Amino acid sequence: MKVKGFLKDVGGASRVTKARLHAFETASEKPETVDPIGNVAREWHPGKLDLVVKEIRTASPTAKTVRFEKAGGGKLPPFYAGQFVALDFEIDGKIVSRPYSISSAPFEARKDPGYIEITVRRSKGDGFIADFVNDGLTVGTVLKGNIGLGQFYYEPLRDAHHIMALAGGVGITPFASMAKEIANGTMDAELTILYGSVASNDIILKGELAALESDRVHVVNVLSGDEPDWTGERGFLSAELIKKYTKGDTSYFICGPQAMYKFLREEIKKLDVPARRVRFEVFGQAKDITAFAGYPVEKKDETYTITVMRGIHKDEIPAKATESLVVALERAGIRIETACRSGECGFCRTKVLSGEYYVCPENDGRRAADRDFNYVHACAAYPLSDMTIRIPIE
Amino acid sequence: MKFYKDHYDVIVIGGALAGLSAALMLADKGKDVLVLERHNLPGGIATSFVRGGIEIEAALHEMMSIGPEGNRLKVGKFLEDMGVKIDWLKVPEAYHASLPGLEVTLHPGLETFAKEVDAAVPGTYEKVLKLLNLCHTVFDSVNELSIHPMSKVQMLLKHEAFVKTAGYSTQEVIDTFDLPQKAQDLLAPYWIYVGTGFKTLPFTIFSVLMADYIGYGSYIPHKFSHEMSLKMAERAEQMGVQIEYKQHVEKILVKDGRVYGVRTARGDEIHADYVISAAYPNKVYTSMIEPMSEVPKEAIKMVNGRRLSLTAFSVIMILDKPAEELGIRDYSIFRGDTMDTEALYKDLAGLGPYRYLTCICHNYANPDATPAGTCSFSITTLPRVDGWKTVSADDYDRVKHEVAKQMIDDISKYYGVNLLDHVLEIVIETPMTVAHYTGMWNGCIYGYAHTMEDHIVARLQTAEQEKFIEGLEFAGAHQISGDGMGPAVTNGRKAAKNVLDDMKKKEAAK
Repeated sequence: MKVKGFLKDVGGASRVTKARLHAFETASEKPETVDPIGNVAREWHPGKLDLVVKEIRTASPTAKTVRFEKAGGGKLPPFYAGQFVALDFEIDGKIVSRPYSISSAPFEARKDPGYIEITVRRSKGDGFIADFVNDGLTVGTVLKGNIGLGQFYYEPLRDAHHIMALAGGVGITPFASMAKEIANGTMDAELTILYGSVASNDIILKGELAALESDRVHVVNVLSGDEPDWTGERGFLSAELIKKYTKGDTSYFICGPQAMYKFLREEIKKLDVPARRVRFEVFGQAKDITAFAGYPVEKKDETYTITVMRGIHKDEIPAKATESLVVALERAGIRIETACRSGECGFCRTKVLSGEYYVCPENDGRRAADRDFNYVHACAAYPLSDMTIRIPIE
Repeated sequence: MKFYKDHYDVIVIGGALAGLSAALMLADKGKDVLVLERHNLPGGIATSFVRGGIEIEAALHEMMSIGPEGNRLKVGKFLEDMGVKIDWLKVPEAYHASLPGLEVTLHPGLETFAKEVDAAVPGTYEKVLKLLNLCHTVFDSVNELSIHPMSKVQMLLKHEAFVKTAGYSTQEVIDTFDLPQKAQDLLAPYWIYVGTGFKTLPFTIFSVLMADYIGYGSYIPHKFSHEMSLKMAERAEQMGVQIEYKQHVEKILVKDGRVYGVRTARGDEIHADYVISAAYPNKVYTSMIEPMSEVPKEAIKMVNGRRLSLTAFSVIMILDKPAEELGIRDYSIFRGDTMDTEALYKDLAGLGPYRYLTCICHNYANPDATPAGTCSFSITTLPRVDGWKTVSADDYDRVKHEVAKQMIDDISKYYGVNLLDHVLEIVIETPMTVAHYTGMWNGCIYGYAHTMEDHIVARLQTAEQEKFIEGLEFAGAHQISGDGMGPAVTNGRKAAKNVLDDMKKKEAAK
């Protein structure tokens, strides 16, 4: 065969080898360490930052807003309005992590110094971290936090320009962030917030939200409690009420307590809107795992032994059948990184080497192949026998 | 607490396809191997994620070098030999080409393909088949020579076509076939998967690409590329490999010209006789070797003398209608307003509009890819790192959305359907996404560009001279076989082979 001529053809390999060596010989010997694409990735996702509490203020009689800046100052990473921060709390020498929707706006994080805020309601006895935020945090405290996680945000290439927020209780926080970002002109959307509360003095961020109202931000408070003086909307966030405030093509964003999700799933069905127009924030850790379909209720009082492998190191810890593997690990003082605590993000992806377990069906965000090989998201998995698991070394 | 053994035979930095292939091969020979992966799951970009309850492929379009059951090609065979059983699904066609004056669907099989080109551009059958057969001959030679090196004279006798085309670009060889432009255009779409225009792309690389993909077709794993990555990792662990996730290696420890271990971001110092790095040589030689005085200036000149190849920009959507209802008819569509690869390559240095797009609809190879009534559809371009290097953190989101919108609008126009009216989920993957999850240097997934100045034949010839630190090997797209998930496996095996050969040499010297 011939391409150009025998000699030229057979000389090809040595020609290209010479060319390559020549390129190296003539190259600079100065180390080139610039990685601008990596730098942008690190600016958006720096991982855990030291965040210092700068200010604590009242958001309602039962809730507080906490402002954080980066320890040492400077900008905080960009994020999308609606996303959360995963904060690590050290309580009794053990690290426990919680996700909180950021109630401040992204543009505020990009100031210098930038800040983020979370708004947390005191619990009714079931959330010791929520109580700690309300009663135990003081200005100057430093916590580690991972900013800008989660999928609950407005995506202009997917969502309608008109967003209807269906919020309950402390579920108002992601929408407070959106409202501020829209008011600042840095998010191009229109927002109508239907905000359900039991009592008027229970409305979180009431003043701040009222101050943001404009032709692009509308706030409708809805009271379910019996208050004779209330002149606004009453009842629950029913399909009828939602219809009343819907204007043309609308995306529904839902964030609130688990009971509200159950109610709204039915109401949304009545609206006959396409699936792509409805977005629920993650469910949160199941309040009562025994109430879910398929959970073996007869095991609810059992405590099992979990053998935890980290590298070649092995620990044994107790674990209750009604508490997730993450809770058992945190109780035992074994560090496992979590973010959403709803089975979605996969930060706590864990290999089950042996033993039986139950995965909360609301929170099963696993990949198909992961299921096949007994991987679980430990925040959504509950032991049903003694187990051996493998987790990453933190 | 002690998480690691005192010593390993080999530490592999990076638990993606190359690193896992190396680990499998070393474990198969009884070596004690530790894999350190920075993310919390294996695979690098060969992975999937879940959005709104739907699992979505992160990167894989189609795997080459798998081959049909019973006649596996090298990657398919290696995985089988290692006991990694993947549920491979065959991709139904080669591609649909939507190019100026051409709307043609082409299928694998050299003769089938040539016939289909002939149907679109009559009178080209003989020439196209002859070209494809030449590609196949070169491909066979590359496969044989990579395992059994031989003298130049022997090579000329036994591998004449390989030797005689090695010094030429793809365009130079194609020109000798005197094909009409349209027929040339139909042969060109895969160029993007090797990321260089035809005037600079070695014909050797084009041959491998065409013979492998067109000759044998391509495959995807049933449960996304995560199935492949996870099964490789699981098998490696079964064979005794220790894999630790979320461990970011910051330093490779070197003394007197020889590696002795690594240090992680967590602060663990771990010792081994060999280190295989999936991190780019650029990063290793400029910031990872400790102390830096162990890096010879030749190593710096080598990385500076090479050109980073392509990265990825992908708009991945779950649409709320079945593909047929939206007019999407093929698994893979290559669409461009020109097939001038040089002009297109130039465009890739910018930030769009990108004129050459690849669309993939997984449902056509995998009907279970998404829930009933929906389909998965992605639009990808593979830009050069140059343009994206200029984007700041504050501009990033705007640029990313502008580019994505242009791509969606362009494809919407093609189908006559506004895809934006059907988006159930959307994820925009950028070079920054790649950098975030994998730590790849400048988000580059394609290693170094295949060019006439960085030719695979030259890479093979000079590989020995490019070992600057004893016991340090590299595995990844930046190695001899270059980019792609199939070549990643081959690159990993090559690194493992180098380690095993060196061990044997040391053993013999004792």
